[in-house]
Amino acid sequence: MAIIEVVNVDKIYNDSEVKVTALSNINLTIEKGEFTAIVGPSGSGKTTLLNLLGGLDSPTNGKIRVGDVWLNELKGSKLIDFRLRNIGFVFQSYNLIPVLTAGENVELIMQLQGVSARVRKQVAADMLVKVGLADRFASRPAKLSGGQQQRVAVARALASKPQFILADEPTANLDGKSAENLLQIMEHLNRNEGVTFIFSTHDQRVMNRARRVILLEDGRIKSDTLQ
Amino acid sequence: MLLSLSWRNVWRNPTRSMVVVVAVALGLWGGVTTMALINGWVKQRIADSIQNEISHIQIHNPEFLLNEEVDKTFNFDSVAQALSSADGIVGLSGRLKVFAMAQTDRANSGLVVLGVKPNSERSVSGIPNKLIMGSFLEGDFKTPSIVLGKKAAEELKLVNYELTDSIAQKLSAMELRLGEQIQPLVGRRIRTRSSFMNALRAELEPALFNHYSETLADSCASFRLNGPVVLTFQTPAGELHSAMFRVRGIYRTSNTAFDARMAYVNFENLALAANINPNYVHEVALLCKDNTSVVSIAQTLSTTYQNLKVRRWDEISPEIALYAAFGDFMGLIYIVIILFALAFGIINTMMMNVLERYREFGMLMAIGMNRLRVYSMIMMESVFLTLTGGVVGIVFSIVFIKIFAQTGFDFSMWAEGFEAIGYSSVVYPDITLANYVLVTILVTATGVLASLWPARRALKLNPMQALRVE
Ligand SMILES: Nc1ncnc2c1ncn2[C@@H]1O[C@H](COP(=O)(O)OP(=O)(O)OP(=O)(O)O)[C@@H](O)[C@H]1O
Ligand SMILES: [Mg+2]
Repeated sequence: MAIIEVVNVDKIYNDSEVKVTALSNINLTIEKGEFTAIVGPSGSGKTTLLNLLGGLDSPTNGKIRVGDVWLNELKGSKLIDFRLRNIGFVFQSYNLIPVLTAGENVELIMQLQGVSARVRKQVAADMLVKVGLADRFASRPAKLSGGQQQRVAVARALASKPQFILADEPTANLDGKSAENLLQIMEHLNRNEGVTFIFSTHDQRVMNRARRVILLEDGRIKSDTLQ
Repeated sequence: MLLSLSWRNVWRNPTRSMVVVVAVALGLWGGVTTMALINGWVKQRIADSIQNEISHIQIHNPEFLLNEEVDKTFNFDSVAQALSSADGIVGLSGRLKVFAMAQTDRANSGLVVLGVKPNSERSVSGIPNKLIMGSFLEGDFKTPSIVLGKKAAEELKLVNYELTDSIAQKLSAMELRLGEQIQPLVGRRIRTRSSFMNALRAELEPALFNHYSETLADSCASFRLNGPVVLTFQTPAGELHSAMFRVRGIYRTSNTAFDARMAYVNFENLALAANINPNYVHEVALLCKDNTSVVSIAQTLSTTYQNLKVRRWDEISPEIALYAAFGDFMGLIYIVIILFALAFGIINTMMMNVLERYREFGMLMAIGMNRLRVYSMIMMESVFLTLTGGVVGIVFSIVFIKIFAQTGFDFSMWAEGFEAIGYSSVVYPDITLANYVLVTILVTATGVLASLWPARRALKLNPMQALRVE
């Protein structure tokens, strides 16, 4: 069974005077272990789609299943808790808490999940090793480069043992080399540990690394190709 | 880790947080010190009043309490034996208590005259140790003795103002010109303070007068020991009797009203003059081992002496017992008002903290931090911020109170006003551990309350909106 199933989803923003149809009639399944890029021009609905998949927003029409749960059936704190235990997030920026060290940022999410302090520490250290930051456990985010900060965010997402990780333009603020490096790490985790990644991007080189590319235009899926 | 996260968040903007910490510390320092001063005052007032005025327990003929008539006595021998051997009673004095009109050659005034046996009175009262001049009623004199309060002595104009040679010499040594200008006054005896002042004003240049007149008047004042006072009172038979006494001592307490009213004479002299059987008394005053034993002792005495009225200090002077409760209450109100004012500053700081971290809260809520946790984090930050100030303020207060509990805090600049209502001008601040605990709880509560509004702001945010990159 696919871990994500999107059925007939529309998203219409009408909180301002003009109605904006951000997504229309999206149907989509994502299998465990995918390494999928969502691409498309600015305003095509990439962020909107990722927000819907992550349970940060709800569709105007249609429904979304994550694992064996239909997201529209979850409300309030149940939904927050579902995100905590099932979905990993990497944002474009503001991922980390500046007063916590890299290690503590990774530990925080496990603490929210109720993992014991001893296990937390160990897992956080392991995750930082996986993203190549073994020696930066005690560094505050301000002491890390943009690319390193994004890698800490990936480590944090991993530490929560989610069903999949959503990353909205994770490389948008990075230089080419750091972006390349981040993608390599994500790809490695995907290949060797089966971590499912769904990320959006503008960047052609990032796109090229994806095994599946979903192209959005004006809120519709224009193409969906495996490469 | 959430605790340590909150703590670190408090210090993200150290300057802004320090402002709040300092404000809370100063506010509490003021509040707690005021509380301790009020408390110290009240305690002192109670102690003074037990020691000098009412003692722990008083026993009367119940009818005497109605109109304080001179014939409403009771037999002292009937109680004295039992009381002096009773457990927990450390002092016992049988008294006569008579209202008298006092007259001197210059003035007259109403007095409450207590007839006491000096040794017994010393066992219950601090007055014999409060003499500023002369001695208590000991000693054999042809004319009976009377001990007056300073205020009463002044009202009866038993004061002379005389600039003696020795004072004049001291003044010359201090300031030559002053010494020269007062020469005409040396050796003159002046009867009232106002005419002494007038005389000074006439001799001194204005600057010196303004600077020295009050102190000079104080140091030149002397009471006319052995001055005659005629007391007139009613006898049990209803006649008026007069007798002459001579002033042998002047006492002074911190309660001017008491000093103006209460006079002490020898028991036998008063019994004789007022024609009262010397085996009878109006009042028995008792001093107990400590304040805590008073209730049970009074209880026992009440049942033993059914026909007499036994009253504890807090029944004799309920207003003083009330002060004790009231003092604590006042201190608390004061602290609550201070904290209420401080709360606005805390809210403001917390609000800035929250607004600056809008995206961060959005991120935390997105990855799975629930509302309760977001709320507790903000609340803990607010409590930490407030409590840091609170702890600093309380530590300051403890040090301050410790110091002044030894030396006393001198209000003598305003002392006249305080003493008129029975309070000493030197206050020893005093505060109970329970009050510190209470203050700490109040501070914490303020922190919690001040976090409500900012936390509401954070909880209302939509993580998706907060994270949107413009
Ligand atoms: N909260 C919102 N309220 C109203 N309109 C919105 C909101 N969020 C997005 N939109 C609109 O929905 C459409 C899709 O936006 P979305 O952010 O998903 O695009 P995107 O593909 O992520 O673009 P970008 O590449 O610039 O990030 C746009 O027209 C946008 O203006
Ligand atoms: Mg976007």
